[in-house]
Amino acid sequence: MKFILSCFLIAFMQNAIASEVTPKKNSRTGMLSWHAEEPEISLELIQLLPDYVKAVFSSRGLPKELINTLQDYCVFGTIIKNKSTDTVSYQITDWRYITADGKEHKIKTKSAWAKQWADMNIPFRWLLLPEKQEFNVGDWSQGFTTIKLAPATLFSLRYSWSHQGKTKQRTLNNLSCAPATMAIPTSNN
Amino acid sequence: MLASQIKKFLLPTLLSISSLSFSSAFAAEGLSYHLSPVPATQSVDFTLKDMDDNTHRLKNYHGKVVMINFWATWCPPCRKEMPSMEVLYQKFKDKGFTILAINQWEDIDRVFMFSADLDTPPTFPILFDQKGSVSEQFGVQGLPTTLVLNKKGQVVYRAVGGRDFNHPEVEKIIRSLLDK
Repeated sequence: MKFILSCFLIAFMQNAIASEVTPKKNSRTGMLSWHAEEPEISLELIQLLPDYVKAVFSSRGLPKELINTLQDYCVFGTIIKNKSTDTVSYQITDWRYITADGKEHKIKTKSAWAKQWADMNIPFRWLLLPEKQEFNVGDWSQGFTTIKLAPATLFSLRYSWSHQGKTKQRTLNNLSCAPATMAIPTSNN
Repeated sequence: MLASQIKKFLLPTLLSISSLSFSSAFAAEGLSYHLSPVPATQSVDFTLKDMDDNTHRLKNYHGKVVMINFWATWCPPCRKEMPSMEVLYQKFKDKGFTILAINQWEDIDRVFMFSADLDTPPTFPILFDQKGSVSEQFGVQGLPTTLVLNKKGQVVYRAVGGRDFNHPEVEKIIRSLLDK
């Protein structure tokens, strides 16, 4: 029994890795990004200022009513790629963000946003990262991921992906939401 | 006074810097040329209008090899791959191949401004799916998504995410579909 449990634990640990990825700071914007490389996929998260997110939605001609629905969320530009020579899939419904109190939270999905906006009579479903994809070779996606946290909040993200019938997961620690505003560079003059 | 100046001058500047940052993160990515074969399935039919208000029905393209590209001007990889689509179109347009670029959500003015700004403006039809109903019928989750249909109107290749279509491997696929 102990042997079976040990095997199970080892198998689980091989598929569940917690790690830190050193963030990269954009020298022009000061925004941070995290780039995680796995054998099968790569995942990149890019901090976005709340005002930038508002501007992106606003420039699509979307009404303030819709833009206001995003005000309690911190938003990341997200790029996920299939690096393997086979199909890879992911489901954001399986992903969790973990707050400082150790609690796990679901990520609001694209279809949940689309439903909320459709209920407001705004049939908009773009800009957000697709919540579920089966990638063939060379496929990749990009879009916004929304996390219901205040600006500058620290959290961890547990994400998962499936490849050749196996689901793997990884937790990225010490991620942080973009600040509410960016400090304006001061001049010596 | 200071607040209004910040709002008027600094905020748009910062937004554009931030925007450039997000866009360039995508733009810096090298695009692959890989189109994945998918089990042949008969395509749904649709009718959409182009920039000149001409109507295009997919069924009328049967007998041709058709590349359908779902895109939007705000999508950086869509913008990046478009010139390579135009090169591919120029190579095969007289041999029974066409591209239908189906724009999502946007209006003609925005797309016109975008096209005019390109070094190689697209000459293939750009169609407007303003309510996203056609992309939904095709199960498109994200942009860009590209489908290749054989002469029978069956979807036979798919690519999710930006691609470099100006590549010998893509040409080989198009040529083989034209020869069938």
